[in-house]
This record gives sequence, C-alpha cells and structure tokens, in this order.
Amino acid sequence: MMKGIAAGVLLAAAWAGPAVAGYKLMPRGVPETVRTSGLRVTPSIDWNRVGAKVGRNAEAWTLDGQSLNEITFYAGIGEGETLFKEVGKKTRPLPRFSARMLPPDIVQLFEGSYRVAAQTSLFSVDQVEPTEFLGRQGFRFRYNFTVQDEEVRRTGEATAAVVDGKLYMIAFEAPTLHYFDRDEGAYRALVASAQLGAPAKPQ
Amino acid sequence: MRAFLAGAGLFWPVAAAALQTTPQAPPVQGGTVVVTGPRQDGPVDKDERGLWMQADEAELRLKASNFLITDPALNAYVRGVLCREVGERDCKQARIYITRTPYFNASMMPNGVMQIWSGLLLRVRDEAQLAAVLGHEFVHYRERHGLKQFRDIKSKTNAMAFLSVLPVGGLVGAGLGVAQLGMLGSIFGFSRDQEREADQGSVKMLAESGYDPLAASRIWQQVRSEQEATAAARGTKVRGNGGVFATHPAPADRMADLRALGSAVARPTASDLGAERYRAALAPFWADFIDDQVKLNDFGGTELLLSQLAGERWTGDLLYARAENHRARGAEGDLAAAAKFYADAIAAGGAPAEARRGLGLCLLRLGRAEEGKAALRDYLAAKPDAKDKAMMTMMAGA
Repeated sequence: MMKGIAAGVLLAAAWAGPAVAGYKLMPRGVPETVRTSGLRVTPSIDWNRVGAKVGRNAEAWTLDGQSLNEITFYAGIGEGETLFKEVGKKTRPLPRFSARMLPPDIVQLFEGSYRVAAQTSLFSVDQVEPTEFLGRQGFRFRYNFTVQDEEVRRTGEATAAVVDGKLYMIAFEAPTLHYFDRDEGAYRALVASAQLGAPAKPQ
Repeated sequence: MRAFLAGAGLFWPVAAAALQTTPQAPPVQGGTVVVTGPRQDGPVDKDERGLWMQADEAELRLKASNFLITDPALNAYVRGVLCREVGERDCKQARIYITRTPYFNASMMPNGVMQIWSGLLLRVRDEAQLAAVLGHEFVHYRERHGLKQFRDIKSKTNAMAFLSVLPVGGLVGAGLGVAQLGMLGSIFGFSRDQEREADQGSVKMLAESGYDPLAASRIWQQVRSEQEATAAARGTKVRGNGGVFATHPAPADRMADLRALGSAVARPTASDLGAERYRAALAPFWADFIDDQVKLNDFGGTELLLSQLAGERWTGDLLYARAENHRARGAEGDLAAAAKFYADAIAAGGAPAEARRGLGLCLLRLGRAEEGKAALRDYLAAKPDAKDKAMMTMMAGA
C-alpha cells in the first residue's frame, strides 16, 4: 500500500478520479489468494481489492476507499527486497528486507520505509507484541503516523511472520478518528483467516 | 497510500481560487510600484496583495499542522537570534514556524511567515550559522524577492498558470526533491542575483550584530560535504550543481563568495559563534531530530553529520546515534560495529536506555544469544514501561 504513496505522487493530478484499474469485489466467505504467493484469506465482510498495483508482492484492499481504510498484504517479501516500489531509487532509496532480521528489525524496516516514502517524521510505533500468525510464531505492532501536506492522523496495525526466509505481513490503517476503531475487527478477522499453502483451486 | 496526497493536491487550487476572488486593489499611481528598499507594513499593490492572500491561506494551514514544533523556549530562542541579526524593529515583521521536517531548508513568505525545518536545526552548528540562514531569508523578504519572482513568472507564463503560484524560495530551492513538503508555496527559487543579494545582506548583518561573518560560508561547506557523503555511500554521484544547489549559485562559487564577503566585513567585534548557547537550546530536541535523520536510510550523510558534530569527542548520545545508523543499514560488518558503538555509548554515559536494546538485538543477530538476552533484560529493567515490552520480554527469554 505504501507503493500507493509512490503511485500517488506520480498520479497526483489524476488523484480525484477512480483508480486506474478499478476495484474488484472480494465477497465475504469466499477464500482469496493474494497474488501468486499462496497467502490465502477469507473475508468476513465484503472488501474491495484495489486494482492499482501496490508492489510486486503486495496488494491493497479497502472498504470505503483507501483514505478511509486500507489493508495491505505483503505476501512473501524476499531477501534484499523493499516492501513497496521505490519512488527515487537514487535519491530516496528504501530499506531492504533481510531474512536475518528479528521482529524489532522488521518493525524498524516498516517504519523506515514509511518515513522515506511518505517523507514524514511523525511516525511512531506504539506497541510490539508476539502473536500467532499463519499458524506460526509471529508478531504484531501498532503504529500511528501523519503525512505532511495531508495532516490526517492515522493509526495502523500490522501482523507479520517470516516463513522460509520470506516476510508475510498484513497491515491495516485508517484515520485514528472513528475509522480505525470501527474497522479493526474486520481486519483482525481477516488476519485470523490467513493461511499459507496451495490454494484449494488454481486462481 | 495515494490517499496521502489528497491534501497537497487540493490546497493550491483552493489558494488560486481565493486569489481569483481577491478584491481589486486601488490603482497604483504611475503603474507598478517600485519595490526596492526596506519594506513597509502591508502589501504595496495588486500583485503583492494577491501574494499575501495566498500566503495568509498558507499560514492558516501551517498554524494547524501536526508538524509544528510549538515549544516556547525553542521558538523564543530562534526569534532572539533573528532579532539580534536583523534588528528589533525589523524582526517584529517575522512570524516564525518551526516544523518537524528532517531535511535542510528554511524559507520566508511575502507576508512575513518564516518557516524553519528541524533538519536545518540539526545541521546548523552554532548560533552564528543559524543567524546567517535567518538573515539570508529575511533579506529575500525585506527586498520583496518573492514579488519580483512572481512578476517574472507572470510575464513568462499564461494567466492560469501563474494564478496558482506562490513563489517561496526555500534556502535550498527546489532541487532537494522534498522541498515543497509543507513549505506552503511553489518553490521556484530566487534568481542568482537575488541569492547573492541575500548572501551579501546576511553576511553584513552578521558582522554588524557581532556574529562571525564567516559562519555563512561554513554552512554550505557542511551541506556540500554531507551531500557527497550520502552519494558516496549509495554509489551515486552528486549531480553537478543540481540537487540542493539547482537553483542557487554553484556551491564552489558561493562558498568562495561568502568567504570573500565574510573576510571583507570581518572585524574584531564580530567573532561570536554562540556554539554553546546553540547546543543548549537544541538539546531537548536533539535525540528526536537525530532519530528522524537515522531513519532516513541515508547512511553516509548521517555518518558524516555525526562525525562533524563529534569533532574530537564522541559523547554517549552521538555514539548511540552512530550505532543506530549502523544497525539500521545492517550490511556486512555493520552489526559488529554497531554492537561496539552501543557498548561504548553505555560506557561513556548519556546514552538512552535504548542503547541496551540495540546492543541486545545486534548480539542476538551476531549469534551471541546469551549476551544478547542479558542486554535486552537490562533494557527492560531500565525501561519497564517500554512500548515493545511484550516482544522484548519474549526475546530476552525472561
């Protein structure tokens, strides 16, 4: 979804218009595979997949539009890869994932990626705790941030685990006012439904 | 994330609309008012009235920004430096806004709004250097450089284009790639002649107010060195006179000019640097500002900045920042280096509790599990209410 920042910069003029590739309904109760990663989730309510590409291994979903609630799936970020596409590889390179990273290092990777891509210094991590994810030992962290020139305070929560040297993470963020609390339950339900493995049928 | 840009995209058209509905100013006798010399209060003609209108809108937005650093002591200190530099009478015209923006820039809008980024405060070494920057921006304002640029742009572009323009020549112009961040104005940069005029005015005021007039040339030297260090660590090149210097005189010329200007006005009474006062004023914010810098993924620039700040003496907080910078990059050898810097920082004293956290994480990744866990337990003992307590407790095997 951070890729969206990058895309947004380039498409700023077209921002008010619909996403280039539109949205696709992700109906409740129907298992969906995130890209080609083998990460499967089953939504508890209807979500909309954002057509615009977020990153090579990432995609975004929303309920009411990305500025109000946005879920980003990072499905198998590999060694040496960035979380999302870099805006300026030479002038503003993003930090890169390494399989040797410990959970706090990954939180820092996430924070650094946001700070660089969104050019903000108002980003703080509020909580980091172990949790089960994808049937394994993972971790969860809560953060909040504001982007300059936009000024909306947002809260986010991400749940992650490293599996076979690849990072799997589902992040949710929404305006701190009203939206985060309202939709957090739907996000947690999506996280709880996440599984890793071959899909039931070819997608 | 594209949503983040909504505000930025909407703002300027709004400002432009405001400009279009600006009531006509009374006709000016004899055509365009000549705008040289010290400025009076208020706009002088229609063009300037339009600029003020936009600038006032921008100021409203700035006032409400989450990024504003409102600490009274820091704001009073910065104002004091400006007042000493430009004089008590003139400095009343400036309204200072300091924002938490981790890049090097400052600007002044036509209505007297002076914006200073935290990244500038982090890089400026002493009070004289700060005075040099503030004085430079103030000359742009006093001499109405923005208005002149506006007229210049207006004469070269069509009506619709200029309606959305509020030229605010930031200290480093448009080249940084981030220069418009909350800068509330289109960063057009001033002409080179205007920059020279601002440099000359600033250096003269430095000497007159008792500051070392050579301070101005040192800033550019520091910024240029940092830019080179950033590029070297990334394996890129500083792009000629582009980047930070795109809209400004070539750095070599400028440094030479500033040195010459400084030497010309040097006098025994003008030697104050105010390094201690500056450090004291910045001290409560330094840890946050350096943390912002470390997280920019700019290893080379940060490393140079830290060694410049350290000089001969690496204090606990500088060592901690250096360790964080190495751990964040995490390349071959970085973790071992970081572990040593953390240990040195703890030994030197003055490092935050997070030094033990960083040390623990490095040691764990280096395969020294027991030592690493012990360091994390030390961290938790030193900071029992840590935000990452649950995670750290598990990792510490406590």
